[in-house]
Amino acid sequence: MEDGNERKVSREMLDMADRGMSDEVLNCVMPYIHDSKDRDAVSLVCRRWYELDALTRKHITIALCYTTTPGRLRGRFPHLESLKLKGKPRAAMFNLIMEDWGGYVTPWVKEISNYFDCLKSLHFRRMIVKDSDLELLAQARGRVLLVLKLDKCSGFSTDGLLHVGRSCRNLRTLFLEESQIVDKDGEWLHELALNNTVLETLNFYMTELAQVRFEDLELIARNCRSLISMKISDFEILDLVGFFRAATALEEFAGGSFSEQSDKYTAVSFPPKLCRLGLNYMGKNEMPIVFPFASLLKKLDLLYCLLDTEDHCLLIQKCPNLEFLEARDVMGDRGLEVLAQSCKKLRRLRIERGADEQEMEDEEGVVSQRGLMALARGCLEIEYVAIYVSDITNAALECIGAHSKKLCDFRLVLLEREERITDLPLDNGVRALLRGCQLRRFALYLRSGGLTDVGLSYIGQYSPNVRWMLLGYVGESDAGLLAFSRGCPSLQKLEMRGCCFSERALAVAAMQLTSLRYLWVQGYRASETGRDLLVMARPFWNIELIPPRGVTINAPDREPVSIEHPAHILAYYSLAGPRTDFPSTVTPLDPASFLTL
Amino acid sequence: MQSAISKINPDLLKTVIASGSVSQAPKNNPPFASRNSLSVPSTPKSDQNYLPALPVYSPVFRPVSAETTPITIFYNGTVSVFDVSPEQIESIMKLALDGSTKTVEPADSKLAIPPNEEQQLLETLNGDLPLARRKSLHRFLEKRKERLTSVSPYPPQIRYAVSDQEKITEELFRA
Repeated sequence: MEDGNERKVSREMLDMADRGMSDEVLNCVMPYIHDSKDRDAVSLVCRRWYELDALTRKHITIALCYTTTPGRLRGRFPHLESLKLKGKPRAAMFNLIMEDWGGYVTPWVKEISNYFDCLKSLHFRRMIVKDSDLELLAQARGRVLLVLKLDKCSGFSTDGLLHVGRSCRNLRTLFLEESQIVDKDGEWLHELALNNTVLETLNFYMTELAQVRFEDLELIARNCRSLISMKISDFEILDLVGFFRAATALEEFAGGSFSEQSDKYTAVSFPPKLCRLGLNYMGKNEMPIVFPFASLLKKLDLLYCLLDTEDHCLLIQKCPNLEFLEARDVMGDRGLEVLAQSCKKLRRLRIERGADEQEMEDEEGVVSQRGLMALARGCLEIEYVAIYVSDITNAALECIGAHSKKLCDFRLVLLEREERITDLPLDNGVRALLRGCQLRRFALYLRSGGLTDVGLSYIGQYSPNVRWMLLGYVGESDAGLLAFSRGCPSLQKLEMRGCCFSERALAVAAMQLTSLRYLWVQGYRASETGRDLLVMARPFWNIELIPPRGVTINAPDREPVSIEHPAHILAYYSLAGPRTDFPSTVTPLDPASFLTL
Repeated sequence: MQSAISKINPDLLKTVIASGSVSQAPKNNPPFASRNSLSVPSTPKSDQNYLPALPVYSPVFRPVSAETTPITIFYNGTVSVFDVSPEQIESIMKLALDGSTKTVEPADSKLAIPPNEEQQLLETLNGDLPLARRKSLHRFLEKRKERLTSVSPYPPQIRYAVSDQEKITEELFRA
């Protein structure tokens, strides 16, 4: 448990360092410093503290795998116990990045298999993993691996997972959520069921693994008495009755599927401690099976359910202990009003965009300023809000700024559904929101006319602590961007889409943002040759261009539709120099080449 | 869109585009290609080199002026990008839709573009980036559509936007 006093590098500690505090004392104190920002500060004090930090640092997150090399990581942190690596840009989650862009785990797995003797926990996010990588990992670290997370990864099959199931007998957590996995058979789960008795978390939610057998799930539930969380792919709920009966310690379940038009679902009995739930394809008729324990629910995932607005209201009303809700905007303003009334402990809310076709969702299913204001006034504990709205006003944002004092992550997307928005531009509302809340993360995705240059300058002025930002269709001209980039002192990662800004302004802005280490832009005013980007050319700053590509959208019963995705700019600090594993479509920007013109 | 365009009389298409972009194009260019377009024509054109010879890729996304926006057309093995005005885009789209219904049996509904998708296409062609959807949600929404349209002797579980009358009837039967 961290003590607040020990998190800061105090004056006393510095004085003692001057007087030659022994390594023993430092060694006692260092392990209590967990926060990565604090550790970062500690490592900059002096050579000795740097070395001690390097020897005792337990966890490292590398936000982009190309910013350093496996060798450098090993050289500095040889005793690392836990590593998180991220590859593809976040836009990959929205199908905007080609599959072979990069982010291969192979060089990292090789290094891990040869060194990093203490490594017990691995988390790869948006990276390309091969079966051979999993085989090597299982072989080299199988016995000690406690946590393996292949998070939104791709490139591997169930054959690779078979190695994991066979050799990683100490695995507490196997996480595969949203990964693209070639599904050859269900043997990997069978092996896991046979060999593991300590599993606590198993997650293959939002994967297309369809050959898993319920017998294996039941076996895992029986053998792993500490099983707390199970999130699976589409799987008939009626076949899981045995699993639910066996998994007596289960607190979290998501996935499954309701496919039979039957009242047999009333016979499904859930584990007694279940408090985090997400049931796919759950409809109005099946919803009542949740009612008996709805008051225990802390987390509810309704993203993939088949409920209308009224159903959402009915269910949410029964969950006074809810802390985390995810739903589509079919929930509507009325759903938000019920939420605000009933769920006073709510900390996190995510409202996603439902279907665009009117007949596919409830006609009441729109979220607007009305719901947002109810939320702000009713849920005072709220820390995270990500929301897609069909309409918005300045007053709603001002209301959030006035009431949501614990809010630190706010993301607002204005949908394209309505032609006319009640109250644009949102300059004043955005200013009030930023002044009222201590945001660390901020996303604002609007449309032309949504935020003027003045509004954009407000973002720069009033975001002292924001480290990550996504801005879509904001501002009117380069002047706005330049004013914005004179502020945002903590901004490390900036993503922008649909901008009216020129290459030159983007490059100047990148140079002005003092903490910026990662920039992604799609949709901007390009120069004919791209050379205006060179304004931001400097040592250790990699600039990559992803050219536009035609994407064919295949949908059942229709001719394929071809849409063109515009170019992207990706720029980031790196100690490793330019990448060497580009696909043919990505172009590094090489300043030297311009000298030959 | 692709199939619809392929059904149009090519000369008609060229005329429509030419009338839209001729005001923007400098005199020494072919009538239906503006200065900045990247065109890979099927017939040999003049020796003009549209692609700058640089190691750095040249983005196609161009300044969106009040009058013209880019349109990309995949036609008969070629890919062409033109700058046309919004009105001309409407004409082209209308032409494509008219063309597709005239030359094909009316019973073949496969070529008809549903209104909202036409809207989305128009938005894309206007140079705006459509809001991208999260992969997981996109997959769910597609699967849900399949569930609804799959053949089943039983009435669908999901009831959306039902009238009050229907709701009341439902309640009676359930009670």
